[in-house]
Amino acid sequence: MSSPVLPWVVFLPLIAGAVAFAIPVRAEKFREVFSTVVSGAVFLLGMVVLVGPEASYHAIPLGFVQGYLVDLRIDELNRFMVMFASLFGLLVTVFSIGYMQGRSRLREYYPYMLISIGAANGALLANNWLAFVGFWGLILVTLFLLATIGAADADANKAMRAAGKSMVILGASDLALILGVGLVFAQSGTLVLSETSLPVTGPMSAAAFVLIMLGALSKAGAVPMHSWIPDMAEASPTSVVALVPASLDKLLGIYLLARLVLDMFQVNLALNLLLMVIGAVTIVVAVVMAIVQHDLRRLLAFQAVAQVGYMVLGFGTGTAIGIAGGLFHMLNHAIYKSCLFLTAGAVEKGAGTMNLAKLGGLARAMPYTFAAFGIAALASSGVPPLNGFVSKWMVYQGLVEVGIDKYWIFLVAAMFGSALTLAAFVKVAHGVFLGDRPREMSGVVEVGPSMRFAPAVLATLCVIFGVAAQVPLQHFIGPAVGMQFPAFPEAISIGGIWSPTVATALLLFALLIGYFIYLASRTRSVRIAPVYIGGETAGEGTSDSLNTKYGRNRETSDTRVLGTEFYDSIRRLPGLSRLYDKGESGAFDIQRLSKLATPLGWALSALHGGRLSTYVSWMLWGVLVLFVVLSVVS
Amino acid sequence: MSLTNLLTYVGLVAVFPGFVFTAVVGLLSSWFDRKLSARLQWRVGPPWYQSFADVAKLLGKETVVPAGSAKLVFLGAPFVGFAAVVVVSTILWMASIRPDGAFVGDLIVVLYLLYVPSLAIIIGGSASRNPFAALGASREMKLMLAYEVGFLISAFTLVVKNGGIVSLGGMVAYQQASGPMLSQGISCIIAFIVALIYVPAKLAVGPFDIPEAECELISGPFTEYSGVPLAAFKLTKAMLMCVLPVFLITVFATTAWSPWAILWYVLILVFVVLIKNTNPRLRIDQALRFFWGPVLVLSIVGIVLASLGL
Repeated sequence: MSSPVLPWVVFLPLIAGAVAFAIPVRAEKFREVFSTVVSGAVFLLGMVVLVGPEASYHAIPLGFVQGYLVDLRIDELNRFMVMFASLFGLLVTVFSIGYMQGRSRLREYYPYMLISIGAANGALLANNWLAFVGFWGLILVTLFLLATIGAADADANKAMRAAGKSMVILGASDLALILGVGLVFAQSGTLVLSETSLPVTGPMSAAAFVLIMLGALSKAGAVPMHSWIPDMAEASPTSVVALVPASLDKLLGIYLLARLVLDMFQVNLALNLLLMVIGAVTIVVAVVMAIVQHDLRRLLAFQAVAQVGYMVLGFGTGTAIGIAGGLFHMLNHAIYKSCLFLTAGAVEKGAGTMNLAKLGGLARAMPYTFAAFGIAALASSGVPPLNGFVSKWMVYQGLVEVGIDKYWIFLVAAMFGSALTLAAFVKVAHGVFLGDRPREMSGVVEVGPSMRFAPAVLATLCVIFGVAAQVPLQHFIGPAVGMQFPAFPEAISIGGIWSPTVATALLLFALLIGYFIYLASRTRSVRIAPVYIGGETAGEGTSDSLNTKYGRNRETSDTRVLGTEFYDSIRRLPGLSRLYDKGESGAFDIQRLSKLATPLGWALSALHGGRLSTYVSWMLWGVLVLFVVLSVVS
Repeated sequence: MSLTNLLTYVGLVAVFPGFVFTAVVGLLSSWFDRKLSARLQWRVGPPWYQSFADVAKLLGKETVVPAGSAKLVFLGAPFVGFAAVVVVSTILWMASIRPDGAFVGDLIVVLYLLYVPSLAIIIGGSASRNPFAALGASREMKLMLAYEVGFLISAFTLVVKNGGIVSLGGMVAYQQASGPMLSQGISCIIAFIVALIYVPAKLAVGPFDIPEAECELISGPFTEYSGVPLAAFKLTKAMLMCVLPVFLITVFATTAWSPWAILWYVLILVFVVLIKNTNPRLRIDQALRFFWGPVLVLSIVGIVLASLGL
């Protein structure tokens, strides 16, 4: 069935992005309103696509091969992803109105954001490898451009380096993707995604799978192709990070992986094992790096990398429940991670720094931001009954099903990764929102409504997708992987059992018991008193503190226990300290492998002497070789 | 959900095996701990109702909130930890009472819910603005990282051994059919030893009372707590003292619903009390090395043996 809506989901934001360039700098308000309206419209179109039937849309035949350049298809796998990609686009655009205020290069910012949304929708819907690769590359270009926008306001060097790094890593892996697509074309003879189907039997199809997988995993940010995310997160506007690496890139990367595993390849055991290893290593390495970070955005970025591990691990199990868990985790992750980055952006806007050592005690000043952050952080750590727990739990069930006697190490790594995630968030919670407030932070106030709206929506989604996990499972994930999930209040029972709704009811009831205990107490008076440090006035830091009876009663102080010091005793453990030093000096960055190619570069540059006669002789030699090869072949 | 169902759930959570039962057994266990410790030190020790009296007394005291703290988080955290322990207790006992019926959660759910009471202590302490509490919170988190990995491996040793059963009812039924896990080979015994070491660490009693460390940190995360929220924390700790042995008994030895369980329960408690009274407190880095060194190696040996069928 042909659908007239489909092209609009893709081309409306692309065209609007181009139009938004034309809006003059003076009409900044208009550009904001225009972008918000367009992304709102795209979200509505995404909703239409979500509830509509399976459909497709073709235009512009390719000619040299069967298929169309514009070949869009909506099916069970991508319909909810398009809706969520558009939703993230809308939310981040609304957030940007407050967040980007007063920054430079706004003229480019909104157009690039719109184009990113369109490109993501295009890649999700594309049913032709050429179009797919085009949209896939386009979002890399906008990512690069958006990353450089940070250069105008922050450390320019850092931003450009980070943007360059992501370009190198993602560009290289996109090249791998294109090579993989070429191999697929060579073997199946079609460029249409829905007609591609290969068993992984020979080395060629395995190579195709691995190459395309490399593209998918780099986009999603799995170890060892992850190192661009933390650098980028540190230097780019936080809203950009929330939209592209934290949500759209995750959706795209895992979407491609899902297409590979579900529709195109019959994956064999070795490749599944490879995926599981990548997944488990990603979780542990990234989260171990996360707990020692001092910059909020960098810490969140390492967390984001770690979460990809769960998705890849789920897909690696090869079981329906594991893949469903991986997909659901992708959705949940996109929700809570964009929420976390947006709240980080709100903190940046409110407090003016992202350094965990300089922040602290902001919970009272920024209650909404703190609440949204808290919910998203708990969800990310997999605390029941929030959404992150359900999807992790499903991944674990997949691991148990595929054989825990062989794969227990992956299960333990993943579950311990959860504890480490929690540890990293404890550090952030203490360093930013709880703990003691430094004096420089005394004037911080809550951000405006446009920056509260998006985190609030996302945090609410974290709760709903946890407590009523059956709803997204039944309507989004189940159809995509061909699994039947129970309806709303029922328990999810696959191998183990998790009944999110009843569990929440029980927890709330137990909280109620706690409240009754509170009521049962004879005195219900609450007295506010200064913090007790053995009767000393240590750390007040102002000269008049000695005259007051107690220190620390001004709600700020100079000497504090910093969140950044929380895990120093872990960092100093023998063995670990060396790994940490190496990790921080960038020894594990994948692009360093390119150094291996340096001798090749010397050889090539020696050939490029600039002498025409040398070039001509090389060409003649080439023609000769071609001639020989062709005549032998024919 | 029908009304009878609802009433059943309310009864389960509020009375047995949830709040009232766990709290009574937990407070009695905490008295047992104090009494036995006292006898080991040639003291007389408190009467049996002392722990109840302590909680009752705290309920009568005024609640003090430190100036400038996040009040709602500070006051709410103890109750969140409390609620999680009540639900864990209910889930565990239901597995023994009705092994065939699936109730709310499985082994993985329980392992995750057990994070919550520790998290409540950390967040509550961190919210209080007190530097001692902050140090205590950071130690609690590190301690959690220390003991968690070995304990996870030991828990999954059982799942390897029973062929991939993760539902608690299923684990109980499996033991009823083919004997307690502990009788099924050396791997389970190793896993049990690791799990036993986990109990005092999770409870943060000696030699792992590192977060509270009275003589260094006043009482760590609890420094600023008083009145009802402190009572909630004390109650949560006491209930954990009941829940953790019951957890071990349910998955390793027998159902919690048999006379043998009482013997096992007392044995585990005695072990905890003896360890507590014979070992001085470790530093946090020593605890990390202990759990990530010998204990981790031991647990890995256990699970490898289990995957070999031993």
